Amino acid sequence: MFRKIKRRLRVGSQQDNIDTIYTGIDEPLPRNIERVKERLNEIFSECSDYIQREIVCGEDGSVRILVSYIEGFVDKKILNQDVVRPILDYFSSAERQDKAKRVYQLIKECIISNNEVREVESLQQAVYKIVSGDAVLFVDGSKSALVVGVKAPQGRQVEEPDTEVSIRGPREGFVENLATNMVLIRKRIKTPNLKFEMMQLGIQTKTDVCICYIKGIANEEIVKEVRKRVKKIRGDAILDTGYIEQYITDNRLTLFPVVGNSEKCDKLVAKLLEGRVAILCDGTPYVITVPHLFIESIQTSDDYYDHAFFASFMRVLRFLALLISNLLPAMYVALVSFHHTVIPFKLIITLAASRQGIPFSPFVEAILMITAFELLREAGVRMPRPIGQALSIVGAIVLGEASVNAGIASNLMVIIVAITAICSFVVPPLIRATMLLRFAFLIAANFLGFLGISLVAVTVIIHLCRLRSFGIPYMAPLSPLTATDLKDSFIMVPIWAMITRPKILFQEDTRGTVGIKRQEVDKISED
Amino acid sequence: MKIKKLAIVLMLPILLTGCWDNVDLTEINIVTAMGIDKAEDGKVIVTVQVVEPAALQSTSSGQGGGGSTQPKPVFVESYKGETISDALISMKSIVDKRLFLSTIQVLILGERFCKDGINEALDFLHRDYQSEYLTDVLVAKDVTPEQILKIQSDMEAIPAMYIKGTIENTAIRAKVKRTMLINLFKDIKNKCRQVTIGQITKVNEKTVKTEGTAVFRDGKLVGWLDQYQTRGYLFATDKVKSTIVNIPVTNGKMSIEVLNSSGKLDVEFKNGEPAKLSIQVNLEGNIVEYIGKETLDSPGDIYKLEKILSQEVKKEIVMALNKAQKDYSSDIFGFGTVVHKYHPHYWEKVMDEWNDVFSKLPAEIKVDAKIRRAGLIKSPMMKDE
Repeated sequence: MFRKIKRRLRVGSQQDNIDTIYTGIDEPLPRNIERVKERLNEIFSECSDYIQREIVCGEDGSVRILVSYIEGFVDKKILNQDVVRPILDYFSSAERQDKAKRVYQLIKECIISNNEVREVESLQQAVYKIVSGDAVLFVDGSKSALVVGVKAPQGRQVEEPDTEVSIRGPREGFVENLATNMVLIRKRIKTPNLKFEMMQLGIQTKTDVCICYIKGIANEEIVKEVRKRVKKIRGDAILDTGYIEQYITDNRLTLFPVVGNSEKCDKLVAKLLEGRVAILCDGTPYVITVPHLFIESIQTSDDYYDHAFFASFMRVLRFLALLISNLLPAMYVALVSFHHTVIPFKLIITLAASRQGIPFSPFVEAILMITAFELLREAGVRMPRPIGQALSIVGAIVLGEASVNAGIASNLMVIIVAITAICSFVVPPLIRATMLLRFAFLIAANFLGFLGISLVAVTVIIHLCRLRSFGIPYMAPLSPLTATDLKDSFIMVPIWAMITRPKILFQEDTRGTVGIKRQEVDKISED
Repeated sequence: MKIKKLAIVLMLPILLTGCWDNVDLTEINIVTAMGIDKAEDGKVIVTVQVVEPAALQSTSSGQGGGGSTQPKPVFVESYKGETISDALISMKSIVDKRLFLSTIQVLILGERFCKDGINEALDFLHRDYQSEYLTDVLVAKDVTPEQILKIQSDMEAIPAMYIKGTIENTAIRAKVKRTMLINLFKDIKNKCRQVTIGQITKVNEKTVKTEGTAVFRDGKLVGWLDQYQTRGYLFATDKVKSTIVNIPVTNGKMSIEVLNSSGKLDVEFKNGEPAKLSIQVNLEGNIVEYIGKETLDSPGDIYKLEKILSQEVKKEIVMALNKAQKDYSSDIFGFGTVVHKYHPHYWEKVMDEWNDVFSKLPAEIKVDAKIRRAGLIKSPMMKDE
């Protein structure tokens, strides 16, 4: 069904005003500069940020050069200093009668004092270079144009990411600029084996997307698979790695993240060194890594910088938090609605006392409170910073004191929602999955008590065990059990004892999920 | 895909089962204690003590302050029925919510009910899934269970918790036989050992006392042991954890705290017939108080005291054994277990008359007492100069 809608949408968008749209069909560069000018003006009509300057110099104006670029995108100072001035100086001081061919060669080899000079042969490529921030020089009479890389530095400085804070360890985070990000990685892995494979995705956006891996460490099969899947992506725009993530994921309907993302350089580098493949995308600080396994959700980069004892303890704690945030409200509902017999005597009195006079059933109460909390959280994220305080005050009063005093929720429910909320923030990668699962558990608990909870739990576990990330079982190394890889799971051994790389990433894919999935994707793209 | 859809459809009926036993905590009456007695007409009277959590909460947090208008934390209701379950279910006509039995802390049996035999009468408690096996069982002496359950102590808001607290105290000091529901169920079916249950009496409107033991024979109440006999019985059956034994010494008194005790039962056989019962008790204690003038400096002094202590403990055991053999003819010690274990063929024959055989056997009681320490001082503070 989605496929049909998608196809219809795609066809629809291409049908309007086909004449005025630049279709990017390959056409050779005209030799005549006037023709080039004419064509470019046509292409860039109504683009007020498009600048072109014509330089006419030489004895009798025989040297005609057209400089085209997008305003603000190039560093004007460098352009003038490295390109325009040398050309003017050269042709005005010396009296030369040069053939067009010769002029082109001269400019390319002797005059331009910029290192990044490339040639393009077609108009389409030239246009692409202009819109991606390079300056393009068209020389009259030449069948190719010169591309000079004078891109002005864009975007913000490298700073500490807000989303992933670490107590100890590097604070550098990725930025929106792809080149900067590549430097940040290269800086940490000084080997030519670190490969960056560049490609452009998005029919309109032509976003630079870069597959990054370490040759010799990454599993070639996975690299090949990533390359294949990324190349299959068809779409108008790639605005964030999130787009890519949705295209390349193994299971498109799962709640669990099978593609990892990070904003921290050190974390990404560590993943590359384990043999994972990263995908960078221009315009976003988030870098995605594949394969992404369940166990990675409870790992943090801090774990590796601190003593393994603390790290192991924290990991167990994080796993516990994950369980609590999923199960606590459901357990409570099951306990107070079905399984009174397992509650200790003194606790049952406390529970009964706190439930006294509440008009709702525990289930309704839980749903109300959890929904209220989720709303509060979402509002906190979306709202402009300055109003934040008002929200937190209102939230604290409504969710805490007032709802209890008004007799809508019990004290205990408030505590349970609070603990659940705290726990859900402990494992950030799984926050969204947990949010939905919590409701599933709650509903099951209300119908069947502990039996319902176990039914949902079993379903979730089966789903998790079936899940693959680029052919690697999602629950590895727990299922299938890979003994040597347990060194970095719930219990972490010290760094000096981690002698081998994760074996699981090199495991033969016995079930051939990748193959099956590929066939499906192929079919989609053929449609 | 089709199989998946089919599976989903097949799973749907689970939801149709609904939530028939989904009962909110506010819709149940939390029963903290239950009393079972028999009326003169042979019907069963069941008494329940139900806690009111809200009232409890307000008293404990001290918000009440209203004085006379303060709600009581518990209420007690009785109902008469043919059986326990009948009474409990019929009681719904006088209480507002479903009675929840898993929280029962103490079960109090009436004297008349016990005299008529408890073996079959307690079937309901064994059969019902809500029964809590760790409930303490007591037999009310000279009062009805209802009277006991209506006692409102100042020490605890919930009377059942107060009673439970006293049992825990006295059981540690070996003055009451602590029997839980699970022990009772085990012993009821056991011919090798007769049932004994702790005893509870009313002291005044606010206080109860749990001391002594009710002795049963074949499931029927036959008599009582006082606190000293109870201790002798517990010494012999290896149930004493710690207790204070007072011993007479020349010109004074002494209290010895027993810290360690082990008891062993044996039956000696001669010519295929049991000839003698033997009880061996080893115990260790410390001197905790001495009001007297003798010195305690030499090992000889201590040795003398150990002798007296052994005598004292032996006296209690003899009293208990005499009661069991002569008065009640009930093998509460469990000598039958020994016979069953080591002479199974003889046991097969004598199983049903064992209590009579037991009460005619002579007994040999050995007590080996040791005194380990005398506290911070040796001889008494005031010494004749």
